[in-house]
Amino acid sequence: MKLTELFQKKTFVITGEVGPVKGCSRLNGGPPPDYIQEALDIKDYVHAVNITDNQGAAMRLGALAASVLTKQFGLEPIFQITCRDRNRLAIQSDLLAACTLGIDNVLCLTGDHIKIGDHKSAKPVFDIDSVQMLKIAAGLNAGHDMMGNKLSQATNLALGAAANPNFEPLDLQIMKMEKKVAAGCQFFQTQPVYEPKKFEVFMKKVEKLGVPVMFGMVVIKSPGMAKFINDNVTGITVPEAWIKEMGSVPKSDYKKKATAMTIDLLKEIAPMCQGIHFMPFGWSDIIPEVLAAIRPYFPK
Amino acid sequence: MIGTTKKPLEEILQALAGYEKIAVVGCDGCAKVCMTGGLDQVHELAEELKKQGKEITVEVSPERTCNIMHSRNFLTPCQEQIAAADAMIVLGCGGAVQIARQTTEELGLTIPVKVGLDSVGHMDMVVPGVMAMEQCQECGQCILNETGGICPVTKCAKSLLNGPCGGSENGKCEVDPNRDCAWVLIYNRMAALGELDKLKRYMEPKDYSKMAKPRVLYIKEGRCA
Repeated sequence: MKLTELFQKKTFVITGEVGPVKGCSRLNGGPPPDYIQEALDIKDYVHAVNITDNQGAAMRLGALAASVLTKQFGLEPIFQITCRDRNRLAIQSDLLAACTLGIDNVLCLTGDHIKIGDHKSAKPVFDIDSVQMLKIAAGLNAGHDMMGNKLSQATNLALGAAANPNFEPLDLQIMKMEKKVAAGCQFFQTQPVYEPKKFEVFMKKVEKLGVPVMFGMVVIKSPGMAKFINDNVTGITVPEAWIKEMGSVPKSDYKKKATAMTIDLLKEIAPMCQGIHFMPFGWSDIIPEVLAAIRPYFPK
Repeated sequence: MIGTTKKPLEEILQALAGYEKIAVVGCDGCAKVCMTGGLDQVHELAEELKKQGKEITVEVSPERTCNIMHSRNFLTPCQEQIAAADAMIVLGCGGAVQIARQTTEELGLTIPVKVGLDSVGHMDMVVPGVMAMEQCQECGQCILNETGGICPVTKCAKSLLNGPCGGSENGKCEVDPNRDCAWVLIYNRMAALGELDKLKRYMEPKDYSKMAKPRVLYIKEGRCA
């Protein structure tokens, strides 16, 4: 099912995210691999689950194969596809492959740079950028490749993209989002923001785009994780006040505290946007409680 | 200019293993500016090779070794000394090495021509004698008119044409926090010029056929193919 159909019905869309393993996922009659199990744990609470594409530029099982496997287990995957590892032929070919294999949703991303990953000597591709990928994907949906050649069958993919409300200057980020929408982007998932006011300013600026925005929620599991993000993950900042509050409880209560803080944040955030994209990093089990608490705050 | 760095001596000695008499050739063009292959560095390497038991037949540094005319002018007078060598080592860019090899072939000499430097890109000197920076990829399709005179193909680690990636933070690149995000530089420059509207234009994917190797420049016809 395409996420765009949900947005059209004014559904407040909830998605999760899992990362394929570094390894093969042939089942051989065994149980689902851990990342699929992580997604299955939240199956009843989310509309779809993002499947990351060599996230952090670390080589893993391909996102398309993992997306197909996810679908086989009854979940709706959002196939993340980056520009880092594919030239324009491979991107188009993989989008055709995704639709052929039953994928309905893709998230078109630039991709983390090779230099932050585990194959630092690899050749970064970046033949095209995310805006161009969206335009090319929209073309495939319209029945032609980027050179204008007719396809024997068009794709039918809902096209998503990423946005970063933390970006400064913010107007430069908005400019890129405008380009993405003009190119064919149908929904956004954002990087996390831990200051509702900052997200409010962002949402006021993107309102004019007329495209659904899903707030990205990385659940902060400990002060150490927050510090790691601040020191090593660009584009996301966890405020000191958040770290301090998280650290005000004993370690054994971190999960309880994280749940409460996530709920408090999302109560303010939910009315401003069209969905929440959870990145719980192993703490998927808090999602039911969080959703139950914030559901009254979803926009009508 | 073409930026160069010195190969480690061990690597040079490995390349020259088995050759006793060596012709040392530099480049008084870019390599001189990089302080890797001018006449001074040619002499330094020659002295080092002597310490290692090699015999030096000639030390010479053409004005620009990558230009066949200059290589001929400088190397032809040294033909006998080059002929006496078991191998030539060139302290120049990869182009200089290949032009030096071509020159030896024109002189009817069949000797190994080795390289003593690593070529590290088309560099512009931004701090004289201290720091040079890569600012142009020679992509054959210059877009500086659209981007405030700042090249995203080179200065953005991902060569993005339609704006920054999500990894930029505080105006810096996700790859290196000491490096400016090219798109923030472009944005600020276009803002200063009052031309931000021009930045909103969709930029088509680059035509990489214009970078298909090896390119040949036909100077009189003014075309590259």
